[in-house]
Amino acid sequence: MSTERNTERRPDPDALLALADKEKRGRLLVFIGAAPGVGKTFAMLQRARAVKQEGVDVVIGYVETHGRAETEALTRDLEILPRRVVNYQGAHIEEFDLDAALRRQPKLIIVDELAHTNAPESRHPKRWQDVQELLGARIDVWTALNIQHLESLADVVSRVTGVVVRETVPDIVLRDADDIVLVDITAEDLIQRLKDGKVYLPETARLAQQKFFTLRNLTALRELALRRTAARVDDQMVEHLRQGAIEGPWETAERLLVCVGPDAQSMDVVRAASRLATGLNAGWVAVTVDAPEHEEAGARTKRIDDAMNLAESLGAETARLMGRDLPAEILAYAQRENITQIVVGRSRAGYFRRLVGRSLSDALLRRAELVGVYVVTGEQPQNERPRTIGLGERLGAIFGPRLSVGLLAAIASVAAAVAIGELLTLVISLPNVSMIFLTAVLFCAAWFGLRSATAAAILSFFAYDFFFIPPLYMFTIAEPQEFFALGIFLIVAFLVGWLAGRARDQERLARENAQTTRSLFELSRKLSGAVALDDILLAATVYAQKTLAARCVVMLLPEESDLVLASGWPPLDALSPGETSAARWAFEKGEEAGWKTGTLPNIRFQFRPLRTTRGTVGVCGFEPADPAATISPTMDHALNLILDQTAIAVDRALLVKDSLRAAALEDNEKLRTTLLASLSHDLRTPLASITGAVTTLQRFGDSLTEEKRRDLLKSIEEEAGRLARFVANLLDMSRIEAGALRPKNEYVEIAEVARSAVERARKAFPGQTFITSLARDLPFARGDAGLIEQVLFNLLDNAQKYGGEGQVAVHARRAGAEVLISVTDEGPGIRPADLTRIFEKFYQGGRPDGRKTGVGLGLSIAKGLVEAMGGRIWAESPAVRRRGARLVVALRAAEAPAPAKVAS
Amino acid sequence: MSGARILVVDDEPQILRFLRPALEASGYEMQHAGTGREALRMAANSAPDLIILDLGLPDMDGKDVLTQARQFTSAPIIILSARDREVEKIAALDLGADDYVEKPFAIGELLARLRAALRHARGAATQKTRVEVDGLVIDMDRRLVTREGVLIKLTPREYDLMCALALNAGRVMTHRQILTAVWGPAHKDDTQYLRVFVGQLRAKIERDPSAPTIIRTESGIGYRFQESA
Repeated sequence: MSTERNTERRPDPDALLALADKEKRGRLLVFIGAAPGVGKTFAMLQRARAVKQEGVDVVIGYVETHGRAETEALTRDLEILPRRVVNYQGAHIEEFDLDAALRRQPKLIIVDELAHTNAPESRHPKRWQDVQELLGARIDVWTALNIQHLESLADVVSRVTGVVVRETVPDIVLRDADDIVLVDITAEDLIQRLKDGKVYLPETARLAQQKFFTLRNLTALRELALRRTAARVDDQMVEHLRQGAIEGPWETAERLLVCVGPDAQSMDVVRAASRLATGLNAGWVAVTVDAPEHEEAGARTKRIDDAMNLAESLGAETARLMGRDLPAEILAYAQRENITQIVVGRSRAGYFRRLVGRSLSDALLRRAELVGVYVVTGEQPQNERPRTIGLGERLGAIFGPRLSVGLLAAIASVAAAVAIGELLTLVISLPNVSMIFLTAVLFCAAWFGLRSATAAAILSFFAYDFFFIPPLYMFTIAEPQEFFALGIFLIVAFLVGWLAGRARDQERLARENAQTTRSLFELSRKLSGAVALDDILLAATVYAQKTLAARCVVMLLPEESDLVLASGWPPLDALSPGETSAARWAFEKGEEAGWKTGTLPNIRFQFRPLRTTRGTVGVCGFEPADPAATISPTMDHALNLILDQTAIAVDRALLVKDSLRAAALEDNEKLRTTLLASLSHDLRTPLASITGAVTTLQRFGDSLTEEKRRDLLKSIEEEAGRLARFVANLLDMSRIEAGALRPKNEYVEIAEVARSAVERARKAFPGQTFITSLARDLPFARGDAGLIEQVLFNLLDNAQKYGGEGQVAVHARRAGAEVLISVTDEGPGIRPADLTRIFEKFYQGGRPDGRKTGVGLGLSIAKGLVEAMGGRIWAESPAVRRRGARLVVALRAAEAPAPAKVAS
Repeated sequence: MSGARILVVDDEPQILRFLRPALEASGYEMQHAGTGREALRMAANSAPDLIILDLGLPDMDGKDVLTQARQFTSAPIIILSARDREVEKIAALDLGADDYVEKPFAIGELLARLRAALRHARGAATQKTRVEVDGLVIDMDRRLVTREGVLIKLTPREYDLMCALALNAGRVMTHRQILTAVWGPAHKDDTQYLRVFVGQLRAKIERDPSAPTIIRTESGIGYRFQESA
């Protein structure tokens, strides 16, 4: 008996959107059974073999055969993924390997036992979360589930069978499944199979012990499974009709609201609401109301959070309202949201509240209009039953630790009032002592709140009567007018206490709000002031650490396809591998991970993504001071605000960085254009001169004077030389850049090389005066004679270009283990800032008349050559009489030249 | 036109070294300016008959020199420019330059352009009515076109196009100049249009339309009509 669905569940216009969404995910098929042993795994494997034969790429992710031959035989032809072995406290636990499955990327994967709880330290605590990730990776999943593990049925099952269900799967998982297959055998058959030993399950022994496999239990479970499946089939039918545009009375339009409070019963109420909603095929919303003056009692908040989380996992929407008047807030919300039914637990209202009929369920029943109110009654849990306890403990239990302080304060202040009253009546006769008691009430109200003030008022009432109203020291009243005065006193004391207490609570709330606002404002000012990414991260990290009172806060940013720890407060060197992988998960999926989340909950940090409209820009992680505590909604809200602000600031910093990079690229582009222009100019000008001179000679050779002809020929020679030098420079540069330069390491006689270079310069630049002054005792230098000459020539070329009218001088001398050769000009000199820049490629100092002088290669080539020979080169300016520039080359001196070599 | 004054505006002394003997040997009088400012001053003071202008000047953009010079002189201006500076050349021609020569150039080419420009400047006063080139005769008075005595039938548009080019024989005309002259300013960017018409015209008047000699293409710039020998 199996049933499959092939249509979408939601009938809304959102259906298309949901469909599109679903197509991006893999398909989930759930094999449902009433109890272990009905044959879900067997059925699943049988079908897997069938689709395998049809050519579908199917692998087994995790299947437990328990050594049973029949089942094992079915797995034989199927590919089985190796399991992950986890060492946990000395034990080897075999787990489904999620990462291997994601790497393998099959079309269909079989993962048994959906309700399984993973070993600690796994990425997800529950297997159904692994399955969600598989679906997210567009892998189809087949899985199996026993009906007792369904979250909304957990309490029903434990009530029926007496077995507490610990491993549960949220209803939404089943609701969002694409298909459900019911695997069913009768209860009698199952018991028979058990007796025959045909069912082996690890759970069996335990469950058998708990008398789980009784006919009654199994029949009840079977009924649950059948009904749940039937409800789905019904949905499918309705869906089908709707899609076919067939009109009918199926519009339920029911919408449920469930009230979640801090009492222990809340979980049961939520489950009841879930079942009701499923039965009515209605949407539902879980609502809780936070009163602004509520003391933050840990246990209360935790119960509310747990119940809200449960509701969410059962498919409810959730809403948190703020307000003092619970019923009014809830009814207003119900009207706003078109709620048709309200589900509420019958609250065990306090003694006083029940007296005035102010329990929530009563109030709702009385005030609700046009809305059904469904009251869930529950038994009082064992551990909530009152027990005999000491007074202090009892006060603490009733009022909470802070309130018992308030109560003690009330007693003390009333006692003080009595003492003062007694003392005063000894000295003077007071007409009315009640003012002293009012002062005590006011004191309690102002410092300890409303309840303390109420207690003080009641105590004052009795103390006033006892100590000051005749007959004294008795709780009886003699005069009727005194009775009246005492009554008025009580009312006044209550009113005063109530007003003052309220004012105090409100003032405290306002102060807290102002504090939060102010410090948030401070953060945002700091963030908007910071431009550098590091400053932003540091400010945000420190602020978040302070606000959360966390042990540590870190920020991680992506860098070259990995997340890098960018900031931490208190400073932190590195995160553990587990923490890093949780952070990476948070970044990639844009979801929370780590502590108290569905992913890697065992690590110390919780990571949240820093989201902007452009996507996730980074991750913020925090380590709570107390791992057992929860984050209050206020704290959560503050954290979200911080993260939003930080994300925007980080995004802005990244944008600035991007635009700077773009500007740099543009500069680069401009440089290349200029370079190309000047290269083409340097090549074209000599060519134009040569072509022009040659064609002029050809055409007018006969009519020109001898002198003019010679000049033209000379210009051709000069320009050809210029062109040759330029080409040689380009080639040298490319050789240096390519690292293809292999300088010889020979003994070089500097004087000879210098003279030769000067000679070449004189020929190339006939208008320029060059002088040389070389020391007599010059040692040999180590290097390549040809390259050294090229270097000197480039320096001379540079000097005649920029050196103006004056002469250019070449000096050479020994300095320690080096030979220094310098070229000095008498030009305007070099600005200090340019002393190193002139050696950069394509750097051009302009000439005074603004004319271009070259591409700016000569000096950078000289530098490249000198450094290739292990020497140094630098510029000095001014050189002579506050003018001119000196370029100095230092080469290694050769200590002991071999005479034979020199001679050759 | 011997004795004409030519102003050469170029900052490279090497260029002058051969230009001066060549121009003087051809019977021209050469003046020289090394900067844009100097060029403008000399163009205003000594009223040269023709200006040779290098677009790459140290002190100002050659195009600005051209624009300013055109405010007070109608002397033909020939531009010296690099081959890869197409956009610059077109801009200069549209700004009022008469022709251009690419560096490096043979002196004969420059002198031919120079002569054509001078002749055109002089002839602007006397409107031509008859053009004869390479066996093709255009009689503008009678609107008749013949090749070796055989009548060629042209559409009015083709005739207008041919006349626009022939009246500027020897000089380059940019696409924009031709389009504006023949089709009007609204069509000055319809270069594709022009290509089609030039193709049709060549098919009718050229001896070998695949190797045109009368209407030559100046690639990327425009067209040049062959001067009558």
